[in-house]
Amino acid sequence: MKAIGIDVGGTFTDLIYVDRQTGAQGIHKVSTTPDDPSQGVITGLTELMAQGAIDPGDIAQIFHGTTTATNAVLEARGARAGMITNEGFRDVLHIGRHQRPDHYSIMQEIPWQNRPLIKRRYRKTVPGRLVPPTGEELEPLDEAAIRQAARELKADGVEAVAICFLFSYLNPIHENRAKAIVTEEMPEAFVTTSSDISPQFREFERFTTAALATFVGPKVGTYVKNLEAALADQKISGDLRIMASNGGVVTPRMVTQNPALTMMSGLAAGVLGGAWVGQRCGRDKVITFDIGGTSADIGIAVDGVCAETDARSTSIAGFPLLMPMLDIHTIGAGGGSIAYVDQGGAFKVGPQSAGADPGPAAYGRGGAKPTVTDANLVLGRLEPGDFLGGEMGLDLDAAQAVINDLATELNMDPLEAAEGVLTILNANMANAIRSRTVQRGIDPRAFSLVAMGGAGPLQGAEVAAMLEVPEVIVPPHPGITSALGLLIADLKYDVIHTQFQVSTSADLTQFNSEFAEMEAKLTSRLTEDGLNADDVRFERAGDLRYLGQGYELRVPFDLGEVTDAALAQVWQRFHDSHAAEYGHAFENSAIEVVNLRMTAVGSSPDLDLPAQNGGKGLQAAHVRTRQSVFRVDGTLQSFETQVYRRDLLPLGVPVPGPAILLQKDSTTVVPPNATATPHETGSVIISLEAKS
Amino acid sequence: MSRIDPVTGAVIQGALESIALEMGHKLMRMSYSSIIRESEDFGAALTDATGLQMCECRMSTPLQSGPIPGYIRNVLKVLAERDDPVRPGDVIMHNDPYGGASHGPDVAFCVPVFQGETLIGWSATTAHHLDIGALSPGSCGIVDAVDTYAEGLQFKAIKVFDQGKRNDAVWHILRANIRATDLVVGDMEAQIEAARIGAARLLGLVDRYGLDSTMAAFHDLMDYSERLMRDAIRALPDGDYTASTMLDGYLDDPNPARRELPLVVTLKVKGDDLTVDLTGTAPQVPDKPINMPLVGTVDCSVWLTIRSILLDTVTYGAIPQNSGLTRPITIEAPKGTLVNPIFPAPVIARFCPGNQLADTVMKAFAQIVPEQVSAGIGNLRVVALSGLRDGDHWVHMEIMEGSYGGRKGLDGMDAVDTLYANTRNNPIEDIESHIPIRVDRYELRENAMAAGQWRGGIGAIREFTFLDEAGFSLEGEGHAFKPWGFDGGADGYEAELTLVHTDGTTTSLPSKVPYFKVKAGEKLVSIGPSGGGYGDPQQRPADALAADIADGLLTEETSKVIFG
Repeated sequence: MKAIGIDVGGTFTDLIYVDRQTGAQGIHKVSTTPDDPSQGVITGLTELMAQGAIDPGDIAQIFHGTTTATNAVLEARGARAGMITNEGFRDVLHIGRHQRPDHYSIMQEIPWQNRPLIKRRYRKTVPGRLVPPTGEELEPLDEAAIRQAARELKADGVEAVAICFLFSYLNPIHENRAKAIVTEEMPEAFVTTSSDISPQFREFERFTTAALATFVGPKVGTYVKNLEAALADQKISGDLRIMASNGGVVTPRMVTQNPALTMMSGLAAGVLGGAWVGQRCGRDKVITFDIGGTSADIGIAVDGVCAETDARSTSIAGFPLLMPMLDIHTIGAGGGSIAYVDQGGAFKVGPQSAGADPGPAAYGRGGAKPTVTDANLVLGRLEPGDFLGGEMGLDLDAAQAVINDLATELNMDPLEAAEGVLTILNANMANAIRSRTVQRGIDPRAFSLVAMGGAGPLQGAEVAAMLEVPEVIVPPHPGITSALGLLIADLKYDVIHTQFQVSTSADLTQFNSEFAEMEAKLTSRLTEDGLNADDVRFERAGDLRYLGQGYELRVPFDLGEVTDAALAQVWQRFHDSHAAEYGHAFENSAIEVVNLRMTAVGSSPDLDLPAQNGGKGLQAAHVRTRQSVFRVDGTLQSFETQVYRRDLLPLGVPVPGPAILLQKDSTTVVPPNATATPHETGSVIISLEAKS
Repeated sequence: MSRIDPVTGAVIQGALESIALEMGHKLMRMSYSSIIRESEDFGAALTDATGLQMCECRMSTPLQSGPIPGYIRNVLKVLAERDDPVRPGDVIMHNDPYGGASHGPDVAFCVPVFQGETLIGWSATTAHHLDIGALSPGSCGIVDAVDTYAEGLQFKAIKVFDQGKRNDAVWHILRANIRATDLVVGDMEAQIEAARIGAARLLGLVDRYGLDSTMAAFHDLMDYSERLMRDAIRALPDGDYTASTMLDGYLDDPNPARRELPLVVTLKVKGDDLTVDLTGTAPQVPDKPINMPLVGTVDCSVWLTIRSILLDTVTYGAIPQNSGLTRPITIEAPKGTLVNPIFPAPVIARFCPGNQLADTVMKAFAQIVPEQVSAGIGNLRVVALSGLRDGDHWVHMEIMEGSYGGRKGLDGMDAVDTLYANTRNNPIEDIESHIPIRVDRYELRENAMAAGQWRGGIGAIREFTFLDEAGFSLEGEGHAFKPWGFDGGADGYEAELTLVHTDGTTTSLPSKVPYFKVKAGEKLVSIGPSGGGYGDPQQRPADALAADIADGLLTEETSKVIFG
């Protein structure tokens, strides 16, 4: 069975092809076509198929990661969107949580006030009200008012409508009825409800999530349609699956209905890829560490599974997003991050980045500010004539000049300044990793760091050393780990019900009927999407908190009947999880269930790539010897450093550091006191000398 | 000159910020009452052994983290007076408003950090507690407290843990004297755990980098913040700049000395020093709690406003908040005035007066840096709602937002917390799920925007219906005076509060209302203030005017009247 993974990024569209039977594989990269990304996808596909002599009819699956929804929000280019909501609540989207994004600023702007997803003129209110705790009707829905609102929105050229009523997470009846009426009046429009998109309590966050989906709905719909048509043109009839933020894939139909699902999907595939690379090397606990030009993405995976973040931690362009999403932490630190001395005289690195254009000074495109890449070059950790497999030369003089300027400003030696750039960057990254590990009761010393992205293998070993992580795994192709991750993504459908229950008075019947209803909902959704419910497994979980708290922790529920004994286990899991997460459990407090969740998972077939052969010997892989600078035992020293072609290194033969491994999509730095060993899976494992 | 190389300095700074963030994150997520977890009315900070602030959590509210140094200094002072040394394992509770605390409900838990036998620093959390055992339920709207004793329990450096051993007697006293006991005590426990985490992390940092390097980096960091502030002050022309605004005070009080009280600010700029002279401000009100503690409220109000104007995050990024930032600023507040009251004058309702002081500081700055200020802000109001359910109290606090004035190039921010406050509202779906209140409306006011080239921000309307018999009290400002317009912009709109009785009749309420009973079916209608306009209304671009009309914020008719 042949599968293709296609990951559309900001600059490049990466493609990977794998024959799951024979293990044959190929990779390809083309430029992204921002105006209609489906064109770049098709160009890449035809070239990849030609390169591997693949018959379009043989392709069973296309796994696709798209940033269409993400970019529409980031660039504030979406649909003319409208909203229908309760009378009296026209401005929930505008007032938000009445908090300013910045404490200490008079001149700040507020995303939801200065760049509204839905303008006030297109926010209509209608009578009708539901109330807790069950969502019973206090005031009937005014259907005539809805019809009138829809007609007005249509007359104003509105293309997409969000229907958002208070307490719809308890009872969607008013939203569903309103949706039916609006769809009758506006058959061409994208129409959705807040309970369809994310039935969870907290109205500003839920309404905003629905507004985000509505804002991008028409654009995503068009994109998916274009892509399907283009695939049909190419006679590719395999199943198209699209990556969602939860780390699973869903059908095109599902994405068209709920485009908010894909909002943060770009990051998810990378973590899956990194986790898979780790598992192939026999490592079940990994920190995935993906560094590009402007940002670093950090994920934690255990047994190939990356946990989901809690609903209140996710946002896009400053807007809260209540969507299941893998717990991935992004910081503004990458190869292009600019080093500077700020107004107060402090030495800073990032988050501003030189980007790809002009890029670092070393790119020779006019970049005049010192970046991380320039520091690496000045320290001899990048090869001026051998960057990106020799496709691009680096300008050492230009890099040296900007680093010298920085050093002068700091009154430091230039090499000290260059190494300082890396130390500050690495410390920022280590702090970010600590916030996801040490601060949550996870000991990073039991983990391996998977260094991915163009710049991950450059910084990985030194960041690992700061965290006392014992080893770094560098995947075979660090730059296309996301495309690889797509191929191993499972099908994943989520359903969530807000259900307040307290441990001291838990209603077992209610739990069982909720889970039964959720399972039925998932099964019918799968059937509607042409999938077989027998091929999936179900997983259950709940969002729990101590009664009175405002933040929940995700705790798994066992399958089968919910009994007192089963609940007792759930409560204990919550205490344990609270202690791990916050350092303390309130064992005598009552626990409140807030949401119940259920996920249908359809596993992808295993990806079993053949072992690598490796090169003949170190000699054959050796390119040259050069000087490079590292800090060892507190002092900066220049070392004679061996440079190797990574693809020619023999398997299982340790390469002592300091060493530099070259390959087309990245450069790996092996510091002194570390050893790199090529693994049969094609990864390189760098072992760090344990600190005494 | 730097004490440590800039690389190590940057690394230690990042680590300090990360610790404060972790403390705040965990406190917010562990805490029980919505005033902490939803409104984020809490603080978290580390100080050195003497109480100089090293870092604060950027998630916390400015008025909570800012006072922490004052709490620590007073804890040290009180313990020294008692000859009771600070020891490892101690956890010290403090809320004395005449001893560094912002006011009584903001209770701090302070954990000393020891390296071996040496005290090297403090980790502290503060939070606004729902109830502190005052005369009526809730810890806001206690507007009739006659002295500090009537405001609730006072804790002056009480060791709730003494060398690691829990002082059970204190906890029994707390439980016996505080309403909504489980919530409040749960929040206090969360505060202690978060402070202990901060202490452990600070010790870890010191172990990693050494005490000397850590302290050198911290002192560099204070110098850094001080340098930024001094540079900003030096750029201002020397001179004295005076502004005043008015507090409502007690509008229904027959005694004129308790209503319409002036706040006066004179900024004295000289080189890179700034003196903020509050002379001219009204005398203290000896038996009403709108007096403002000088340390903990007045100082924070002044500092935070100056920082927001001169070192605006939009221009300067996130600069570290530490004691260095305040070194160039001297505050002069005559004793016995609203801004420097004499014990035991009550202070518990100082929140809104303090924010009015912040607005007055901004009004003085408007004369110096008009492109860095907003026109007058709409102030906030806080209500306490309470009742009994199965013999237990429920207590809920709502902080009702104000709005900003117009700014050079930008309209005012609509319906937000202003200046030294930055809390979050409670989701309607959370309120109605947990207390017997129905929220009937939450929207912007219409036809109530201050005209200007850049219009003022618009206030919000919020309506509550009581579903059960309940209690209600209010502390607020802005019912009597309009937010000031600037540079030709119109003045803004006052706030209003109306109680609608079950028979449809209404009672208009002043901005301070002590506890009273309301019946099921009665309804409160809160109308938030709209900030002042900035610049000549006739200069407002036609498309901006048309957009507000299309958005239904303004009718054509009103637009013609106010924009000309």
